[in-house]
Amino acid sequence: MALPTSREGPTGQMLSAAKTPAPAHGPERREWTEMSELTHAPAQRRSIGGQLLGGSQLVLGAILAVLCIAISIAAPQFYSEPNIIAILRQCALVLIVASGMTMLIITAEVDLSVGASLAFVGCIGMAVLNSTHSLTLGMLAALAFAGGVGLFNGLVVTRLRVNSLIATIGTMMMLQGGVYLFTREAVQNHNRLAIFTDLGAGYVGAVPVPVILAALIFAVAYVTLRFTTLGRYLYAVGANEKAVRLSGLRSERLKLFGFVVTGLCVGVAGMILSSLMNAGQPTAGRGFELTVIAAVILGGTSLLGGRGSLFGTLLGVLVLKVIDNGIIILSWNQDLQMVVPGIVIILATYLDIIRNKANVR
Amino acid sequence: MSLASTASAKAQPSMLARLFARQELALLVCLVLVLVFFSATVENFLSVRNMTNVLGQASLALTAGIGCAIVFISGEVDISIGSLLATIALPLIIIMNDTNSLLLGVSAALLFGLIIGAVNGYLTAYAGINSLIVTLGTMFIMRGGVYLYTGQRAISDDAALDSFIALSDGRLFNIIPYSAVIAIVLLAAFGYMMQHRPFGRQIYAVGGNQEVARLAGYDVRRVKFICFIISSLLATVAGIILAARVGSAQHTAGLNFEFQVVAATVLGGVSLAGGIGSLTGMALGVLILQFLSNGLRGLGLPTEWQLVITGIIIIAAVAVDEAKRRRANGG
Repeated sequence: MALPTSREGPTGQMLSAAKTPAPAHGPERREWTEMSELTHAPAQRRSIGGQLLGGSQLVLGAILAVLCIAISIAAPQFYSEPNIIAILRQCALVLIVASGMTMLIITAEVDLSVGASLAFVGCIGMAVLNSTHSLTLGMLAALAFAGGVGLFNGLVVTRLRVNSLIATIGTMMMLQGGVYLFTREAVQNHNRLAIFTDLGAGYVGAVPVPVILAALIFAVAYVTLRFTTLGRYLYAVGANEKAVRLSGLRSERLKLFGFVVTGLCVGVAGMILSSLMNAGQPTAGRGFELTVIAAVILGGTSLLGGRGSLFGTLLGVLVLKVIDNGIIILSWNQDLQMVVPGIVIILATYLDIIRNKANVR
Repeated sequence: MSLASTASAKAQPSMLARLFARQELALLVCLVLVLVFFSATVENFLSVRNMTNVLGQASLALTAGIGCAIVFISGEVDISIGSLLATIALPLIIIMNDTNSLLLGVSAALLFGLIIGAVNGYLTAYAGINSLIVTLGTMFIMRGGVYLYTGQRAISDDAALDSFIALSDGRLFNIIPYSAVIAIVLLAAFGYMMQHRPFGRQIYAVGGNQEVARLAGYDVRRVKFICFIISSLLATVAGIILAARVGSAQHTAGLNFEFQVVAATVLGGVSLAGGIGSLTGMALGVLILQFLSNGLRGLGLPTEWQLVITGIIIIAAVAVDEAKRRRANGG
């Protein structure tokens, strides 16, 4: 698989995965065995993909552990139940969209329009909810709109062959402008349906509803990527699209799938966000796309495609949100919430590269 | 691609070089169409005043676009330029307020830009981190740093030096805004470098095929490193012009600026894949978008429509370009 440093295409490794979707030698296979792998002889380290993955996740796990320990020493209330629930709730929104985005980036595409789409979806969902008094219809409208945005992005990228970075910058501009044409101010919640409020603020037992939704979506995405043929194909198309096409698969459809799934995830997240804010805010979601992509990249998923895992994304989201939370409970200046993630992304990627170099030698 | 461009610089144009020429011609036709359409529908659109005003407004994106295009051509991306605009305004304004010297303020800003470019370039070229990740990171760091330092308040330009204010409203021969003059001079200089100097050809070679460039004896890392420094320095110049225009260092300065510049650059036919495109194309891309937004405002459309239409045009332009390229390669 392609090293992050090189621009060349990947080696034939994914080719075999594309032809025979046997789960024996896949990248994610390694994540559970990384500990033993590290302690054993280098002779075992043959799967480069597994190596890279195990490495970045180990580094990330260590960073997360150090962060948690350091923050809890400095501020013991870090481990209180309300704080942990607050962190999880913060993670939920990002994790939902990051689950879709991980699949998409694994296919070597990216979607920068998710932040703008998040705001628009919230407004549309809220408007439909207001006029129909039905959460189901509001949710369906949100999903249809967000899925439609994903479909549009996917069609532009796969049919018109526009680079996804540019295509989704274009969509982002259209959505940012479009949401203000749709509504100049926040769409207020007129009905106050209890079930809608629960979507963002409710609990099942001790667990917030958004966390449960995030866990569900994460689980489905995880199973899809790790255990299904479809997941295998998504890796394959990102690693070597040509090989995938030559082996008879429709690579465009796989990429389209990635875009639509990302869109649908935005639909769910948008409704949760508007429930939390009790309104559809046209200004919501600024910079959200960058947080999501940062979490995915931090989790070791390569922008070049074909490499990465949802488990890493989960760690990435946790690291970013624990940092956010730490800055708040240590009552540091909240503007650090922008600086620190920037440093962490670069540092984590760099450590990953150093570790790869050490292994290659 | 790189070979074709090298050839075009030396002797008769190769087929690919002619293809590039056609692309710029197509952009020029688009620009003329935009001008014709709005001059027919908007009053005073073609007036000297309006034309030069648009040039002045375009100078920011033109200046930063040169750097953006050069980094693209070298096969990398730089999305930190928006945050850079806000960052370098701090040393500029603060030092000018302290010393009353434009020269010292501008030098401090350029030094800052140089350091940031060196950091981006080092992390990308020498540490080997993907440039999108590096510049995404420095974008966060710089924006957060500006928020931290200013406490989200603007720092006003108390020195109010005449020479600095002239950057925003001064005009050469009372016609062309100084900011546009700066942009055009820089465009000409870097355009000459890209097409006729060995270093420019090296950038094309590195972006076209890194491996071949390396085997040909070029120092790929050094070339990329310098490209990032050029990009940051040019964004610094854009930031200085912006600070003069708003008369302060704003923590929100240049938000989404990187996306506008990237969009215009790509519209101008500069490929994200590296090795393809020209500064002329980039400049035409910037001008098309700028005149379009000016004309739409003249028609009385709300600014939101400008965003929507710009988005559509960018996607359409790249799609058409891609279709053309595929047809050229296929047949």
